[in-house]
Amino acid sequence: MLSKRAVDMVFQATYTLTDIRMILRETAPTHELDEKQKAETARLLENLERQVGSLKQEML
Amino acid sequence: MKCGSGIEARQVNELFINIDPIQAGGRLTGDAIKAIIAYGDGYSVCDNCRKPNRLDCISKPPIAEFHKDVAAWLGMDAARMMPGARRAFQAVAHTYVNKGDPVLLTSLSHYTEFLAVEEAGGIACEIPADAGHIVTPEATAAKIDEVKKKFGKAPVLAFIDHVDYQYGNLHDVTAIAKAAHENNVPVLCNGAYTVGIMPVDGKAMGVDFVVGSGHKSMASPAPSGVLAVTEERAKEVFRTTTIEGDVTKRKFGVKEPEMMGCTLMGATLVGMMASFPHVKERVKHFDRELKNNKIVMDALLSIDGTKVLSEYPRKHTLTRVDTMNSFDKVAETHKKKGFYLSSALNDKGIFGLIPGATRVWKFNTYGSTEKQARYLADAFVAVAQENGMKISV
Repeated sequence: MLSKRAVDMVFQATYTLTDIRMILRETAPTHELDEKQKAETARLLENLERQVGSLKQEML
Repeated sequence: MKCGSGIEARQVNELFINIDPIQAGGRLTGDAIKAIIAYGDGYSVCDNCRKPNRLDCISKPPIAEFHKDVAAWLGMDAARMMPGARRAFQAVAHTYVNKGDPVLLTSLSHYTEFLAVEEAGGIACEIPADAGHIVTPEATAAKIDEVKKKFGKAPVLAFIDHVDYQYGNLHDVTAIAKAAHENNVPVLCNGAYTVGIMPVDGKAMGVDFVVGSGHKSMASPAPSGVLAVTEERAKEVFRTTTIEGDVTKRKFGVKEPEMMGCTLMGATLVGMMASFPHVKERVKHFDRELKNNKIVMDALLSIDGTKVLSEYPRKHTLTRVDTMNSFDKVAETHKKKGFYLSSALNDKGIFGLIPGATRVWKFNTYGSTEKQARYLADAFVAVAQENGMKISV
């Protein structure tokens, strides 16, 4: 059964990880995040957990 | 960590501040990375290719619109995305240069400009840069006169670097183009270090062609670049095919011979497209880049014996320095010899200095945040102090 939602979640999670990757780039080499960057990372990680949860629901 | 058999996952830009002179402006935006993930498959941008069946006419994804936007952004009338600036040099040289024709280059020209001229059968005639490593309109006019005397005709084309790769110096393309046009010499502005880095307006400069490098300066994957031209030159460089098969009588519609039909496809093209809005925005803030470069330059020049070989104050972030009387003195007795400098910088999280270089070397601060620029400045001073060099405050 085709699951468009599962495919969307794979892309969204990958994109969320890309946003986190960009924060790592901006803060290299110390990766000391300021308050704004910490808040953004927390938001992205929450999104990632939700996206992985949806993926589990769809595929398992 | 591997990303394929025998292929180590590259994490340079996540782990280090990258000051490699040719890499700084080509680091991808997040949107470009996302686009590549979605469009990595071979003919990915061709799903909706319809008549007239040419890449730059595809509207979904909006490739046709992107081509128009890039041309307008560069102040030109038409543009094609290319697999690197060098392929743009090649297309222009192949259109205008015949065997034995003199072509203007400069003493600071990139080797790929020479190869493009060579492949077309042209003869390289270099405009010498002055003592400050600047190509001037006066030297251009003098060289054209010299060429006319020697060949009995003016050069058929001029390749002028907007910012050269050797010193990162900014050359007055507007005045040089004026001098060339007075002798009916078409001018190609090589913006490999400026298109996508700082504002570039081909029409204002009065040039016939603007070439940019996607992977050098437009936050795009390699190989990518752009060739933007005036309406007049578009008819020549972007001419369409006229060939016909003698047996099948086949013709090939609106394909362009210099582009070999379709040019930049798939992930490279979509990567350029995804970065484009960010690139358009970032060129407006080039002053910030120069401020960050100054933070690093002030630190380097505080190390006794260090000299800047590029024009100063800097007008570009690609910079060439001479450290023969500072870092190189230490290399004479250091157990790691000249490798101590790149090694010490690597240990501090800085990448991009050629291993072993302590005499004359280049770096590029483009894309660093102010915090990263300050870190970089402190790192250079720290390495100098750790090795007994004197710092002038």
